[in-house]
Amino acid sequence: MHNFPNARSVAAEHLVLEQLGKSFGAVDVIPSLSLAVRKGEMVAFLGPSGCGKTTTLRMIAGLISPTRGRITVGGRDITHLPSHERDMGLVFQSYALFPHMTVLRNVAFGLEMRNVPKPEVRARALRALEVVQLSHLADRKPRDLSGGQQQRVALARALVIEPSILLLDEPLSNLDAKLRDEMRVQIRALQQASGITAVFVTHDQVEALSMCDRIVVMKEGHIEQFGTPTEIYEHPASPFVSSFVGRTNRLRGTSDSRGVITVAGQQIRAATAEAQGPVEIMMRPHRMRLAPAATDRNVPDATPVQGQNSLRGVLERLTFIGDLVQYHIRVGDAEVMVEEATRRDQGAPCAGTPVDLTWQASDTLVFPAAAS
Amino acid sequence: MDTEKTSWAMRILVFILFLYLLAPVLLVFPMSFSGDQVLRFPPTSWSTRWYSALLENRGMMRAFWTSLGLATIVTALSLVIAIPAAWTMTRLRFPGRDFLFNLFTAPLLLPTIVLGLAILIVFASMGLLATTQGLVIAHLVVTLPYALRVLAVSLGTQNLECEEAARTLGARPLVVFFRVTLPMMMPGIVAATALCFLVSFDEVVITLFLTGPRISTLPVELYNYVYNRADPLVAAASVLLILLTLAVIMIVERTMGLGRTFVR
Repeated sequence: MHNFPNARSVAAEHLVLEQLGKSFGAVDVIPSLSLAVRKGEMVAFLGPSGCGKTTTLRMIAGLISPTRGRITVGGRDITHLPSHERDMGLVFQSYALFPHMTVLRNVAFGLEMRNVPKPEVRARALRALEVVQLSHLADRKPRDLSGGQQQRVALARALVIEPSILLLDEPLSNLDAKLRDEMRVQIRALQQASGITAVFVTHDQVEALSMCDRIVVMKEGHIEQFGTPTEIYEHPASPFVSSFVGRTNRLRGTSDSRGVITVAGQQIRAATAEAQGPVEIMMRPHRMRLAPAATDRNVPDATPVQGQNSLRGVLERLTFIGDLVQYHIRVGDAEVMVEEATRRDQGAPCAGTPVDLTWQASDTLVFPAAAS
Repeated sequence: MDTEKTSWAMRILVFILFLYLLAPVLLVFPMSFSGDQVLRFPPTSWSTRWYSALLENRGMMRAFWTSLGLATIVTALSLVIAIPAAWTMTRLRFPGRDFLFNLFTAPLLLPTIVLGLAILIVFASMGLLATTQGLVIAHLVVTLPYALRVLAVSLGTQNLECEEAARTLGARPLVVFFRVTLPMMMPGIVAATALCFLVSFDEVVITLFLTGPRISTLPVELYNYVYNRADPLVAAASVLLILLTLAVIMIVERTMGLGRTFVR
């Protein structure tokens, strides 16, 4: 039925988007999007605002209808099914609790819509509130609850109907940092305990990396990369993914046929070197080391350590952020950041001194330089 | 110290302003308890005779019940028409939507005397003059724009995601409307009800053209009364009208809170 190369996972595929597209007037917000979410996994749609992640989520929920393509859940075509027949739990960024109903009535709403018998509605709604540890607030109105509590009510309301898919639209964006960490753990635990298939829309890479089984990195309405958090972080498919997920250094250079890359007049190597000509190289700041520049007598360039890259630059400034020190080093006309864990016995190099940066050649990512 | 001085100056200014605005209303109270034959201030003697005269004035009382019934019918019809209309104009996108909304709310800007004349001309040819139906239709022209505007604001400021949440939870469109949209616009509905009722109850200009010996409303009857005579009976009627208005405002305040209803 589906036309996907990965035949092994076909049986486990639950939510499938096939060449899904959305246009608003003449604007192609999403040209064509295809992906398959497996049963029981949590997938993040990660991207900057305006990348189409929320639009995609709303198409899955049936709140906007796609211009082209197909959506299936468990093999059933739901593309044209109205949202109230889709059996999906949606958690909004604004929580969207019904202000005129008590917490309990909010949670019970979906069950009432399903014509569940009254005593059972109450019991199940209360149990759902217990799961999010809010049963003591069942008779309050949403406006009497804190943001985190409201978010948990919204979660209980979405989960109590045991939907086939749980959709979360930036659910943590309105919470403060500490609460966000707690809710991250709680949402993930709930999702894994219930084994529900979940789609999580976020612009926060930490949320995506820490909570989800796989991540769809989106940009301008198309998928840049779809993979596990490790794949996305270690093997980004494009400079965009590399710089959007985690911190990264971007340098411009020129690659020759032997895979030697010239950056700011100095030569380095990369693990893979399929690109030739102008390239962009990327390194994670925390995979690099900093050392005072070697003196002329023991020139490191002459006898480089096997598999290691080295660049000379000038330390411009350093930023102390508690558990990390960030060094900003000027290399040619580019700035490179190095992150090192702080140590108490560390003698910090002074700004303005020449330094050598070293890192593994295998930690160097090379992309053909963008046209810009 | 400095702020206290300015705040005193401000208080006096506000006091004067309120006095200026409310003086006519406040004057009516002592005048209604006048024992004199003619309307004058200050009264030379005190009594409640004009209240009893008012209650015994059959024409006046009939006009009062007409006004009360009329305002009730007009308010109910305004809501029944304006709620779906406001929903359509805030929730659906269709060509000419803004034009339609402006058209419906245009009577707010027109001089009422022009409206009254126009309605008179139209109704005369249709035999609707001095009929209850005629009055209801004419008042609707004035109350609907208020209702529509208040309800549209109420709907427009609602969190649309609540409706979407209800939809994803399995609520059919009509269920969404009655269980989520309508309860959430309750402050707007209360405000619209109060406004429509008071506007219809107080309407004079248009009503003047449409009433006659067969049917008349309280404001028109009062107007006619003052035209012929100048005794304090109208003051007594005014006091009762002020108290009625206050009662409506109090009900709104008790159920919703004035701030939530009228100030957005």
